[in-house]
Amino acid sequence: MIYLDHHASTPLAAAAARAMDDARDAAWANPSSVHAAGRRARALLEDARRAIAAAVCVDAADLVLTSGGTESVNLAVLGLGARAQHVISSDIEHPALGEAVARLEQAGARVTRLRVPGGAAPSVDALAAALTDETALVALQWVNHETGSLLPIADYAALCRARGVPLVVDASQALGKLPIDLRALGADAVAFAASKIGGPHGAGALYVARAVSLPPLLAGGGQERGRRPGTPDVRAAVGFGAAAAVLADRLADMPRLAVLRDRLEAALVARGAVVNGNDAGSERVATATHVAFDGLRGEVLVAALDVEGVCVSSGAACSSGLAAPSPSVLAMYPREPWRAAGALRFSLGPESADADVDAALVALDRVLARLGRGAIEAR
Amino acid sequence: MSLAATPSVGRVVVAMSGGADSSVAAALLHARGVDVVGVTLHLWDAEGAQKVGRCCAPEDRDDARRVCDHLGIPHYVVDERALFRERVVDPFVAAYAAGTTPAPCVHCNQHVKLTRLVALADAFGATHVATGHYARIACDTDGTPRLLRGRDVDKDQSYFLFGAPTDLLARLLFPLGELTKDETRAAGRALAVPNADKPDSQELCFVPDGDVGTFVERAVSARGEEQPPPGRIVDETGAVLGTHAGVHRFTVGQRRGLGLPGGAPPRYVLRVVRNTGDVVVGADDALRAVRLRATGVAWAGARPASPFEGEVRVRHRHTPARALITPTADGFDAQFIEPQRAVTPGQAAVVYRGEEVVAGGFIA
Repeated sequence: MIYLDHHASTPLAAAAARAMDDARDAAWANPSSVHAAGRRARALLEDARRAIAAAVCVDAADLVLTSGGTESVNLAVLGLGARAQHVISSDIEHPALGEAVARLEQAGARVTRLRVPGGAAPSVDALAAALTDETALVALQWVNHETGSLLPIADYAALCRARGVPLVVDASQALGKLPIDLRALGADAVAFAASKIGGPHGAGALYVARAVSLPPLLAGGGQERGRRPGTPDVRAAVGFGAAAAVLADRLADMPRLAVLRDRLEAALVARGAVVNGNDAGSERVATATHVAFDGLRGEVLVAALDVEGVCVSSGAACSSGLAAPSPSVLAMYPREPWRAAGALRFSLGPESADADVDAALVALDRVLARLGRGAIEAR
Repeated sequence: MSLAATPSVGRVVVAMSGGADSSVAAALLHARGVDVVGVTLHLWDAEGAQKVGRCCAPEDRDDARRVCDHLGIPHYVVDERALFRERVVDPFVAAYAAGTTPAPCVHCNQHVKLTRLVALADAFGATHVATGHYARIACDTDGTPRLLRGRDVDKDQSYFLFGAPTDLLARLLFPLGELTKDETRAAGRALAVPNADKPDSQELCFVPDGDVGTFVERAVSARGEEQPPPGRIVDETGAVLGTHAGVHRFTVGQRRGLGLPGGAPPRYVLRVVRNTGDVVVGADDALRAVRLRATGVAWAGARPASPFEGEVRVRHRHTPARALITPTADGFDAQFIEPQRAVTPGQAAVVYRGEEVVAGGFIA
């Protein structure tokens, strides 16, 4: 099996798997308990929190541990955006943020969604122009989950700070792909997910700036300083911590992945693909290439490649098993719906080798040759 | 029979609705060592209460996926909603609004299911497409594939499959063709297929409550078009017996829903007059036709030059009736030996010679 879908989920890093195995006999206890068993679990939890905090340059006390990226984003957006009159976001967000903002809209907020044409991020001036006296929240992703397009979050953060508007950042796809220094960034809340950096599912974190008061999403106990009730999944947090502890290795691998990605992308273009989200004025992380074959359907390509043993994706994964046309790409190219319908995303990680890319291209050639005969038209 | 030993059968795409039949078809092929890929075509989004337990409902896709997981084979859902609407649902609505009774399952097989599945088979490098239909394919001595009715006469679904061109037939497999429904269920249980005992769906997949009239009205208003106008219910002499709310609520042979005072003998819809919108009713004997004309006909092989004797099926589960078939420029005329009840415009007329499907078209 060739796995080139690291933006969906990363394989569990060896360090994370080991740490979770080691924690098994202690992590079951309730870390809020005062006794020895509870203390052992609490030590694991707090070690993990420190490791995650260190990886993003903040104090451990400023991190809320959650069940994943979606919860982290919801906690921040729904908490900081409650009763907001005006919210600024973008039209390429992951549903975790996009749908949370839509809830604010349903509750009466006016929402301005900045456009990201061809992957070209809105300028700071464009964000400044969208800010009004009523703007209560800016909520944006750092790195697009589909194309890898990069937004100048540090510049946005400086502007938001100057204007006194809270900024929530979904950094799920940024962690492990960009160096992150939250202290220098100055955002109000930043969301992370373990499963994008070699950690397990069921673990995430939300950085919350000291001055920010954030109500919990659920009613319950006072865990996580009253911001996230419920007994935490210590073992998942341990996995997250272990993956975070080796994050520097991941970051050090990015130049190699950029070269590998560029080679893959050039080969795809040579086979007739068009690259999405890399138009003039755009910037990307090293891990993804998002392409479209005009006249072919992404969902069919993904299935055909899977039959050949190559795991990639088209659009966003959906629980029904039905791939919807990539919403981010639809928003980036509203006049070219074929770019979303024919979408194919290859995303790389530290496990990706030259041989994986070669094998994927061999499989793709087989599939394309068949489709030339079978003629599945995009509609 | 070992299919895997047949050199021509490689990878096989199995069309999986989530029902018992297609699930068992996949399981049977898999048990014979065939490299099976499960595909569910997503054709229609059920609405509201209709979502429960019908084809194309999310839980049916889940059932198909569960069966594939059980077998350890891949399963893909492919979106064909746009094509299904264009080739099946829109013509279905238009046909009812025009006072005929369409055959959507035939159109779906001809223009959506089989064609798309073969295209997907090409994409997946599969040699064949298998479905859970109760029908068979046999080859002539020269290797030309012929469509035959299923061994189980009660379940036979060859009526829905006519018109498949030879090159397509050559790539179809019907693993249930030799089985009865009971044998299918038994095979499913023996192979521990998770949904082997799931009840059959009885209604059209996109009208799961069976209320075609309301479905047509909703579809018409969704398109912003005028509803079929009200009209008169008349007898064979032209005498007006009552009124009706639109021809789409009537089909030949229908007895209920006429809104006429009761009494004997019971009255049935004999025909719908297209240009006046009159629904003509009469007694049961008037419902019997001695002939029909079929258009849009596909012949298995070359169109015969001269009339021949065959058996004609005029609706699903109708016992094929002996008739003299005369090929015409755009179809055939069938002269029944015994008059047939409720020969309904829009329905398919399928000609058999013994077990073989030799032609099929639509009743004019």
